[in-house]
Amino acid sequence: MEYLYFLYIDFLHKYNLPEFIGMATFPLLPFCMVAAALILVVLFLVLMERKVLAFFTQRKGPNRVGPWGLFQTIADAIKLLCKENITPTGAEKFMFNLAPLLAFVPVMVVWGLIPFSSEFDFMSYSVSALLFMTIASIPTLGILLAGYASNNKYSLIGSFRSVAQAISYELPLVFVLVSIVVLASSLNLRQIVLAQISVYPFCGWFIFPAFLGFLIFFICATAELNRCPFDLPEAESELVSGYNTEYSGMKFAFFFLAEYAMMFIMCAFMATLFLGGFLSPFGFYLSERFIHNDLLAQVLVYFEQVFWLFLKTFFLIFCMMLVRATLPRLKSNQLMGFAWKVLLPLSFLNLFFICCYKYFIYAK
Amino acid sequence: MMKKSLKPFRDIIALALGHLTVFKHVFKRPVTLEYPEKKLPLNDNFRGEHALVVDNEGKLLCTACGTCQRVCPSFETIEIEKEKNESGKFYPKNYTIDLNKCIFCGNCVQYCPFGAIIMTKEYELADEKKSALKLDINTLKKNYSDSIIKKTVKSKR
Repeated sequence: MEYLYFLYIDFLHKYNLPEFIGMATFPLLPFCMVAAALILVVLFLVLMERKVLAFFTQRKGPNRVGPWGLFQTIADAIKLLCKENITPTGAEKFMFNLAPLLAFVPVMVVWGLIPFSSEFDFMSYSVSALLFMTIASIPTLGILLAGYASNNKYSLIGSFRSVAQAISYELPLVFVLVSIVVLASSLNLRQIVLAQISVYPFCGWFIFPAFLGFLIFFICATAELNRCPFDLPEAESELVSGYNTEYSGMKFAFFFLAEYAMMFIMCAFMATLFLGGFLSPFGFYLSERFIHNDLLAQVLVYFEQVFWLFLKTFFLIFCMMLVRATLPRLKSNQLMGFAWKVLLPLSFLNLFFICCYKYFIYAK
Repeated sequence: MMKKSLKPFRDIIALALGHLTVFKHVFKRPVTLEYPEKKLPLNDNFRGEHALVVDNEGKLLCTACGTCQRVCPSFETIEIEKEKNESGKFYPKNYTIDLNKCIFCGNCVQYCPFGAIIMTKEYELADEKKSALKLDINTLKKNYSDSIIKKTVKSKR
């Protein structure tokens, strides 16, 4: 960290800039990097989703715009930005415009809470896991506002469903999170990751004691993200497009972006809690082993940690896409019944099991 | 019959198998045919754009008898201008098929007593102008020679 700081100051000195500018801007740099990375990742995530779904159904997916269709999403985004922003006549204007922001901004905030490497976590609080769950539930409010303000019955029903779903699936999610907190004895996400270090490679990951918890978390995260098979709020065949029926242009792009960004962040969160976050699955870091320049290796380790986190995240996203390609949509009553009758008791069971494990085995 | 208490486990196994089945498709070849570059092979009796058969000496087999006009199910699709040549035989001075009206049923081909009209395998007929879809005698002759070159029909020479 200090090494990077000195590099940056050196870089500024070359252009005759005083040191206090470096001191002021250095903490901001990672934020800019992370924000840009999120947008980029989301752009390619949309493409990945289309490609992967195409592979599952033996199609080719987008392959016309650029090599392997790499620029397809960029073209789509430009198309969306060029479109007119329509506000329906009966809409509540202020709330109608506020809703996309309310759905998008918390996602950006939550993104900063993920520990990318052992040094760079941009917002590290002692309760960051709790903070994550709290802020991550705000976009639901944006969706509710969007449905209420657009003066359309389909939007309203879609947003009601979304809220009902979010409330019922948040509970098992938090109970699984509690079990992880019990295991790590900390609410700080970096501490949770560091608690997964063990003598043997990847044996300390929390997915092994809390496999049931992992499954519950995965299902609940899918439901939280309104993805298939829990995509009732956007059920095309019943509600035209759910809460974003009346939205067009930039505002629709915000909803779209927020949805995919949240998917990425949720998977990164899952990787942090269960799959050892930024830890290497080999038990050692490749750059430490293969690069003998000490300073360079020290810097590269951080990037390698980011790489491992992203790899695990993309693995989880791939699993989510597999689920989407396989399962049909649930009925509304099945959805609620599943959350309250199956997942909630199972998450209690998981918590009980983890507590026993922690008390009798893990602590010794 | 399985016990009722085992049903959840059976369901979980079924779910896992379902995911596995879908996952297997990643390794299969895509069935997509990228149309403008690659095309499906056509059947032998495919009914595409019409063509008038020309014999070895460059003369049309058509005698302008009008059978095709009579068997055509759509109205005023085929128009023939009849004329006599020196040896007293009839030949079409002009022969137009309006593809805007044609339903590509193939009756004209089937009922022609001389086998003078055939259907090629040409099916990309879209054009900006309506008039381009009115095929006159020269176009129909050209269609025949084109399809001989492309070997989509058997030569009658």
